[in-house]
Amino acid sequence: MEFSTLALNLDEIEKKFPDNAIEFFKDKKLCLFKACLEKYFPGVRWGIQDLLEELQLKVETCINQSCCSGTFFQRNLITRAQFAAINERNLNEMNQLADIVLFSCNGCYNSLLRGREFLNNHEVRKKTQEILNQLKEKNNTENYPGKYEVLENPNLRLVHDLDFLYLIRNEVLNSLKFDLKNLKVAVHYGCHYLNLSRDKRTAENYLKDKTKLDELITLFGGNPVDYQEKESCCGWGASQLVIHPKEALKVTLKKLKSAEKVNADFILMPCPTCLYTLSKPEYREKMMKWYGEKLDIPTIHLNELIAILRGCEEDRCITLRRKTPRLDEIFEIITQQ
Amino acid sequence: MDEYSDSDWNWDFYEELVDDVDENKNIIQCISCGKCVGDCPASKVSNFNIRKIISKVLRGDKSVLKDSDIWYCYLCERCTRVCPKDNINIPLLIINLRNESFKKGYGPQYNDLRKYVEMSERFLTSGVVVEEPLGEKLSQERIDELNAICNFARIKYVFKASRSNKNKSKKKK
Repeated sequence: MEFSTLALNLDEIEKKFPDNAIEFFKDKKLCLFKACLEKYFPGVRWGIQDLLEELQLKVETCINQSCCSGTFFQRNLITRAQFAAINERNLNEMNQLADIVLFSCNGCYNSLLRGREFLNNHEVRKKTQEILNQLKEKNNTENYPGKYEVLENPNLRLVHDLDFLYLIRNEVLNSLKFDLKNLKVAVHYGCHYLNLSRDKRTAENYLKDKTKLDELITLFGGNPVDYQEKESCCGWGASQLVIHPKEALKVTLKKLKSAEKVNADFILMPCPTCLYTLSKPEYREKMMKWYGEKLDIPTIHLNELIAILRGCEEDRCITLRRKTPRLDEIFEIITQQ
Repeated sequence: MDEYSDSDWNWDFYEELVDDVDENKNIIQCISCGKCVGDCPASKVSNFNIRKIISKVLRGDKSVLKDSDIWYCYLCERCTRVCPKDNINIPLLIINLRNESFKKGYGPQYNDLRKYVEMSERFLTSGVVVEEPLGEKLSQERIDELNAICNFARIKYVFKASRSNKNKSKKKK
């Protein structure tokens, strides 16, 4: 049996609803996947949640959802079957309450898609089901049938926030109170968005640039700027920043410096892990200490930016913990009447 | 570029890896073009060189498991994107090699693993990797499920080791 991808078919929606993709979502129940790092950047969650509520879409979060566990798989601390079992448990829970799950984090999105891919391996699938069977023996399955089964053909679909927001960009634009006032924006897609879903059988899919973030910036009245390290990694590198911080921070430094060189006003990204890496004050201090470079370019998540442009309260869109003079400046420029 | 004769190739190691992770069989398609190295973030800041690593595996050279290089991979999947072949999953090969290295005792020792302790502990006691989740906490019943899924996994040993270390230091005090 083949486990096909659970990624939402964006082309099909665009074909069916060329001008009003939001219609597709109106009768759907949406669920926001809770990325762990949203704890540090709550605006990433509130930014999208507030927007969806304003657009009168049905949205909630799943109380029984755990961390995607991608970080433990990448560090060889759990096996493929255990990783897939954690995935299936989460998918099963979300399948009970939603039709579509939205992801604010490249890592979580990649984990859920990859966990399903692993099930195409017969051995992994068998072991995954064995693990789930143990849970079945111990726990109550009365809540709903099939709670501890590998989901064979769920209706549930997964979509990255960036793809979703791009799909309903006209509605997003109509909900904005402010525009980007021609600010120069360096966009960072993040490896686990940029390098995913490349079908090498068609040259167009394989070679084409991913441009959704750039297009959104233009639509919102900003100016996307090209820079040398646009497609490079943020430096997190599946915990390289923890294991080999000096080398990893060189990668981060190159990225930040490259964006500063083209006079970008800020870096925009669709992932809280990249945001954490590119904005953490301790990392900036270490770059200064180790490489003598002081970098103060602000960094913003797409969901936070939408909250700012919609005129949300400052503390609802940007966490106070990383407020820097430059970030305040950007907030002031955007929100001036 | 190094030249090899037929006697340099030894398939035993390759077959072991394929036995463990079936998808590794595709690395035999590697044409050593080096595109993966040219675009790799790790290769820019360390000696990590995936072309050499694949070549070692195909020659049956198990010293690759002792090399510190395999621990520098960013798992960013850039190599998979630029590789002209369709199904070579380099990040999965690296995870597999690290696993073998761990099993043979060459991987990071407990001192290095300490960096993972906090996150492992948080996951197994609260289901998230940060101090507290944004919003409601996961119920104990669900946390127990995660613990049962992770039975016999390395994450459990890291967690137990951290607990026993904590107890030892408490006793000393």
